[in-house]
Amino acid sequence: MSIRALSPYFFILPAVAIMVAGLVYPVLQAFYLSLYDWKIGTKFEDAPFVGIRHFIRMVSDENVHESVWVTLRFGFWTITIEMFLGVALALLLEKPIRGASLFRTIFILPLMISPVVVGLIWRYLFDARIGWINYYLGKVGIEPQVWLGNADLAFFAIVFTDIWQWTPFIFIIVIAGLQALPSEILEASKIDGANWWQHILFVKLPMIRSILLIALLLRLIDVFRALEVMYILTGGGPGRATELLSLHIYNRAFETQQLGYASAISVLLILIVFALSFGILVAGNPLKEKSDI
Amino acid sequence: MDLFELKTRAAAAIAGTALAFATSAWANPYEKYAGTTVVISWPALAHFNAAEGLLEEFTEETGIEVEVDALQYLRLRDRQLLEMSKEEGDYDIASWVVMWKGEYVSKGLLTPLSQFFTNGSLVDPQFDIDDVADAYLQNGGVVGGKKGYMPGKSGALYGLPFGAETSILAYRKDILEEQGLEVPTTYDELREVMTKLHEAGIPAMTSRGQTGHQVTAGWLLHLAPMGGKIFDDEWNPVINSPEAVKAAEFMRHIVKTGPKGIETFGFGEASAAFLQGDAALYLDTLKIAAMSRNPNLSKVDGKVGFALHPTDVRCGSETGGFAMGIPANSQNKEAAFLLIQYLTSKAGDQRMVELGGDPVRISTLQNNADSFEDYPVVAEQLPCADPDWRPLIPEWNELNIDVLGQALTKVITTDDPIQPIMDEANEKAREIMEREGYYSWAKYRQ
Amino acid sequence: MHGVKLSGVTKAFGATNVIPMMDLHFDEGEFVVIVGPSGCGKSTTLRMIAGLEPVSGGQIFIGGKDVTWAPPKERDIAMVFQSYALYPHMNVAGNMSFALRLAGRPKDEVANRVRKAAELLELTEYLDRRPRDLSGGQRQRVAMGRAIVRDAYCFLFDEPLSNLDAKLRSTMRTELAILHKRLKRTMIYVTHDQIEAMTMADRIVIMDKGIIQQVGTPRAVYNSPDNRFVAGFIGSPSMNFLEAELAGSDELRVCGKGFDIPLSPKLRAATERNSSREVAIGLRPEHFSIKGAGGSQSSLFAPINLTVDVAEYIGSSQFLAARIGDQPITASIEVGPDSAPLESGEYLFDTNRMYLFNRKTGAAIA
Repeated sequence: MSIRALSPYFFILPAVAIMVAGLVYPVLQAFYLSLYDWKIGTKFEDAPFVGIRHFIRMVSDENVHESVWVTLRFGFWTITIEMFLGVALALLLEKPIRGASLFRTIFILPLMISPVVVGLIWRYLFDARIGWINYYLGKVGIEPQVWLGNADLAFFAIVFTDIWQWTPFIFIIVIAGLQALPSEILEASKIDGANWWQHILFVKLPMIRSILLIALLLRLIDVFRALEVMYILTGGGPGRATELLSLHIYNRAFETQQLGYASAISVLLILIVFALSFGILVAGNPLKEKSDI
Repeated sequence: MDLFELKTRAAAAIAGTALAFATSAWANPYEKYAGTTVVISWPALAHFNAAEGLLEEFTEETGIEVEVDALQYLRLRDRQLLEMSKEEGDYDIASWVVMWKGEYVSKGLLTPLSQFFTNGSLVDPQFDIDDVADAYLQNGGVVGGKKGYMPGKSGALYGLPFGAETSILAYRKDILEEQGLEVPTTYDELREVMTKLHEAGIPAMTSRGQTGHQVTAGWLLHLAPMGGKIFDDEWNPVINSPEAVKAAEFMRHIVKTGPKGIETFGFGEASAAFLQGDAALYLDTLKIAAMSRNPNLSKVDGKVGFALHPTDVRCGSETGGFAMGIPANSQNKEAAFLLIQYLTSKAGDQRMVELGGDPVRISTLQNNADSFEDYPVVAEQLPCADPDWRPLIPEWNELNIDVLGQALTKVITTDDPIQPIMDEANEKAREIMEREGYYSWAKYRQ
Repeated sequence: MHGVKLSGVTKAFGATNVIPMMDLHFDEGEFVVIVGPSGCGKSTTLRMIAGLEPVSGGQIFIGGKDVTWAPPKERDIAMVFQSYALYPHMNVAGNMSFALRLAGRPKDEVANRVRKAAELLELTEYLDRRPRDLSGGQRQRVAMGRAIVRDAYCFLFDEPLSNLDAKLRSTMRTELAILHKRLKRTMIYVTHDQIEAMTMADRIVIMDKGIIQQVGTPRAVYNSPDNRFVAGFIGSPSMNFLEAELAGSDELRVCGKGFDIPLSPKLRAATERNSSREVAIGLRPEHFSIKGAGGSQSSLFAPINLTVDVAEYIGSSQFLAARIGDQPITASIEVGPDSAPLESGEYLFDTNRMYLFNRKTGAAIA
């Protein structure tokens, strides 16, 4: 290859170097760690090499299976509802009507709150004894519920909290996409006779398809990274009803001090996220789609 | 300020001016270390917050600077492990929850206190270690005895108790009186009182119940009085024994008759329920006494009575809380020892009481019995404090959180039969012990 | 014969009165071009007809039906946008058939109409392509195709050619004119380009500042502009205006610095009805000629001195940037392809084709 042919690679070298240092290296480290049985407070050199024993244990570990299942269910409900609500809200508030900008600001507030605070806020709202939710349910004659102490209610609570926090994210991305749509195309569809829902379904949504896919992808990755809110809200309980995979890893690593095993599970997590993201990218290919017209 | 102290200070002042001429012999035991800074890692809990006042007095008196790194107590262990496993650590004093002591010592992270107690220039002859409540000292400070964490001849002292505790029963005098109920002394009576309160529409007893170590802690409080244990003497788990099942059943009873949401209560929520008047009974750490007197936390000051931890087949209360010692990689070990000695001395213990903390000395409990209703109860309770109410082995974390924490959540959140749940947990516990090699001696002998 | 009718239509955006008052009628089957500078309200007018912009007052009738408050789809219109506004996620066939599919027409009818429109516009081989794979001209044709398949009562065009290059634009003009002949539909076409207006329109509507300045055939607006704005807007290069005054009493003349031109009898009669003596004269660049050219000796030709700054050679004629006195003018003079560059001197002007305007009101004196 001539110098000229190589030069593009030369120019992406810094980006590649940062990628390797920032992304590939930690993943390899996690994998490396998963081959050892290391405990915090001891020298890593003294940690016994255990080969793929952690992976073998993981494959048959019911707790890991349960956690993956919880995560998938959590992801399904949150992402489905968030996408639906986020898109619906964006469509409602897209028009520059009076007060829309105020609404928009209010809607994105949850996004600006640190996850730890979100966890605390909702923990107190859902609190069985002093929480507002039980208080107001009591006002309308509904028995107080132990929201975070019952497997189904706690799962509902984390789904609800996640929807509360992340719908604005979809909302903000979708509204940006909608506002960037050329108005003439939207007018063309009105002239072509599209009614309200045809207008949305056949014109607006297909045109922001790549944005929707990217939002979906980001949320999916986030679901597998979600940790702080559940950690504070339920700590994964009751039982493992709300122990998402990332929280499971955290608990294994720092509560029960099984760092090597936790690393093995995090390798599994990376594989799952990779497979799902890859699936979305292949199916949708949002990055290929250029803006046209 | 007593006369002795006054004299010492005067002497120190004179010695200070004479220092330019004197070359040997230090004027006071602290002077050699004046100006050094001792860094303490301890939890951000009421007792320790109160102790900061005492630290200031220490600095003023000795010239040794003190820096505190106070963390939420569940975060403490990671931080300390990380710091103590470095070549040169930043911490000179670490304050640990008693269950971590085995892990710290087995990883070689602590300095044996014998190194200091053999140094005549450091040890205050009036320190009187025998006055420190034995249950506290053994449970928090001694490592390597029987089973590695209990008292015994193979044990050695690594720390002194500070913020240590046992369990007592706190009750609402007004509510029991109103309902015409006697203060329970046995578990049978307690059970009945709880049922009656519940029937009267009053949430009976609060407890920790959150999945993980919280629910396990709640259960363990009842396991010891009911005669149960986690392991037999050969490290075989016995958490499916009739006693253990009975304790689990009692937890279910607590949840059914207690305030709403015990399934989600950690220590803070459980205490708050009692302190805010949403529960009539509290059976956990003695710290509830100090908290009930704190107007910022409590709405029930003056209405709370204290009694011994009820007995079932035997008397047995928890031993827990904190002890403090010196990391092996500390750079200021002698100064650190002086501070520990200062905090746990008779005068220091008394000052802690005055600042709103909890004492560790029998003499302090006796001397203040008139001021605090709970002190005579604690003094009476201490002989019953059971150092083996939970095993303090490195594997305990996993058993505590992953096995018992899960099983007991199932007990209190469902109506499933308890025995199968505990059987399953026992099997899991056995697998862990097997994995960690506890049965190799038994196998070897076969 | 209904056509499209705007009756007393007004439009205000907030406090800004964009269209103060408009009455306009388009005959059925007529090709009308609304022309004017940007911001004159022509697009707003079109969008109000389309139903994309609500009127602030007045009524709109299409085909005799009051559609003032009807949504676009109930107005039986088709529209072609400046940016083509094709659906990027549909192929050409999809774009063209969208309206029919929404209307729930049978599949074979849809296919049939798309095929016919595609043949008409020579798009048959592109039916499966996405808009992004087409050239600008092809996209433009798809946009037209989309309108054609609708077979709407009225076609609206919003500057549809302005994104095309000059050559393509003139081709498309012709195609549009042919299309109109074949479809015989009412077509309302908005542009800022007076050449498009002149070449395609049956009638031209000239707008400025929200007000209709003149409505008429291309010939009428060129030959007898109602006011100075229309005169200046129509015609290319645009008309020269010179500040002048009426002089003399019997033999009326217009005088200014560097010129003194007698009025034609027609204008003389007109000036008598006009009180002001302060006028502007309008001279179209193409009505200048050199002395001695054939047929220019008539008394209607007045001599006039031009100071030539630049003479541009453009083949059979030369284009002059010149001055009369100190007022700049342009002139386009036919001299044949072999002539030498023209120089300053005396030229002739056809006084019969001279326009007079009231300098204050801009109204034509005629």
